[in-house]
Amino acid sequence: MGLEFLGRVRRTTLWVVAVVALLTATYAAPQQALAVALGAGWSLVNLALLERLIVALTGTERGSRSAVRRVAGALLGLLLLFAAGAFLLGRLPIAALMSGFIVPYAVLVLKAATLLLLPSGLWRRLTRDARLATLAVTLVVGAAWLAFSPLRSQSDPQVREPVATTAPGAHEDAVAHEPHAAESTGPEKFPNVITVLHRAFPNAAWAEFLHHYEVIVFALLVAFLLGLVARLATRNARLVPSGLQNLVEALVEGLNDFITGILGERHAARYVPFLGTLFIYIWAMNLFGLIPFMDSPTSNLNVTVALALTVFVYAQYIGLRGLGIVGYVDHLMGSPRNVTGWLLVPLMLPIHVLGELAKPISLSCRLFGNIFGEDMLLVAFVSLGVTTLSFTHLPFGLPLQLPFLLLALLTSTLQALVFTVLSTIYFLLMLPHDDHATGHKAGEASLEHSPI
Amino acid sequence: MNFQAALALGLPLGIGIAAIGSGIGLGLIGQGAMQAIGRQPEATAKIQLAMIIVAALAEALTIYAFVTMFLLSGKIQ
Repeated sequence: MGLEFLGRVRRTTLWVVAVVALLTATYAAPQQALAVALGAGWSLVNLALLERLIVALTGTERGSRSAVRRVAGALLGLLLLFAAGAFLLGRLPIAALMSGFIVPYAVLVLKAATLLLLPSGLWRRLTRDARLATLAVTLVVGAAWLAFSPLRSQSDPQVREPVATTAPGAHEDAVAHEPHAAESTGPEKFPNVITVLHRAFPNAAWAEFLHHYEVIVFALLVAFLLGLVARLATRNARLVPSGLQNLVEALVEGLNDFITGILGERHAARYVPFLGTLFIYIWAMNLFGLIPFMDSPTSNLNVTVALALTVFVYAQYIGLRGLGIVGYVDHLMGSPRNVTGWLLVPLMLPIHVLGELAKPISLSCRLFGNIFGEDMLLVAFVSLGVTTLSFTHLPFGLPLQLPFLLLALLTSTLQALVFTVLSTIYFLLMLPHDDHATGHKAGEASLEHSPI
Repeated sequence: MNFQAALALGLPLGIGIAAIGSGIGLGLIGQGAMQAIGRQPEATAKIQLAMIIVAALAEALTIYAFVTMFLLSGKIQ
C-alpha cells in the first residue's frame, strides 16, 4: 500500500462522485448534486494536501530546503481549503456536502478491506466452487434486501396514507383503479401470473413490487430458462449428439452459418456469439407470450429499446475501434475523396448522423409494434369469441384466435430474425470495408444510404 | 368536432392509409423476389435474406402508424 494506492482511491472516487452527482441531479435537485460534488472535491484536495505534507515531513529528503517549502505550501493550502469549506458549509445543504465529504473515505476503507479480503484463504475457498459462490451472493443480496425493507415499508405508507384515511368502500375502489391510472391507458392485455397475483393480493408489498417490475421479471425468467436449457444440453456433451444437444447444436450451427454468410469469415467469429444470443433471446421472449399466464417482455417498449440501444452502442464501438476516431468521422461524412465529396459534407454529415440515430428507434419500434400488435390481435379475437357465445351463459367461447396463434408463431420468429439480421447489417456497415466479397459490396452500397 | 372525435376518426384512417402503402410495397417486394428466385433458384438464400430485410423496412411504416395510434389512443377518453 503505497502512494499509488492513494492515486487509485482518487480515481475511483472521481468516478463514484460523478455517478452519484448525476443520479442526485436527476432524482433530487441540481443544488444537492453540486453540494455532493463539491464536498467530495474538498475531501480529495484535503487528502492530497495531507499526503504532500506527510511525504515532505517523513520522506527521504526531509529537512532540505525544497521539503520545507513544500510543507509551507501544503499548510497554506490547508488554511485556504478550510476557509473554502466554511464558506461552502454556509451556502450549500450540509447533509449533501457531508455525504460528498465521506465518499473518498468510504472508497479508501472499502478498497483496503478488499485488499485484505482477496488474498485470504476464506475468499479463495469461497470462489473455488461455483455453487458456494452463488450461495454466498444470494445470501448477501437477501441480507441487503432484508436490511433495506424497513426503509421501503416506511416510505410506502406515506404514499398510501391519503387512500387509507378515506372510507373503506372508497379505499377498495381506489386500489382497484390504481393500476389503471398508473399505467398507460391502452387496451388491456391477457392477464398473466403477476397480474393475477397482484389482483389477489392488492395490498402486499411484494405483489406490488412484482407488478411494477413485471417485464424485468419475465425477461429474467426467459434468460434463466435459456441458461438452463443450454446447461442441460451441454452437460455431458458427446461427439455424436442426440436429443436436446442435437437440437441446440442445430440451432447454433444454423445461426453461425447464417451470420457468417452476411459478415464474412474474417469478422464472424467475434460477433456471432452476441448476434446469435440476440436472436435466441428475442425469439424466446416473443414466444413466451404465447404460453398461457405468461407475457412477452418484448411487448413492452422498454425492453425493445434496451435491446436496440445495446446494438446501437455496440455498433458505434465497433466503428470507433475498427476505423479510429478520424476514420469514424470520415465514415459519417460519407468518406469524401474529391471536391464534390467535400462539398457534400454539410449535407451528408447530418444525414448520416440522423440515420445512425434512427436505427435504434426503428429497431425497437418495429419489434415492439409487431409483438404488441400480435398480442392485441389475439385479445381482440378472444373477446370476439367470448361475446359470440355470451348469450348461452357458458363459461367458454369460440376459439376464434386459433389461426392467429399460428400467425403469432410466424411473426415471433420473423421479427427475431429481422432484428438479428438488421443488427448484423449495422455491424457490417461499421466494419472496415476493404476485403468483403463482391456480393456483399453491392448489398452494402444499396443499404448504406437507406434509412433502415 | 372536438379533438377526441378527430382522433377517433383519424387514427384508424391513418393506420389504413399506412397499411395500403406498405401493402403495395410488400407486394412489389414479394413479386420481385419470386421472379428473381424463379430465374435463379440457386440464389434463393441470398434473395430471401434481402427480401426479408426490405420487407421489414416496408412493414415498419405500418408499425410506426400502429405505435402512433397506440400512443394517441389513450387520449380518447
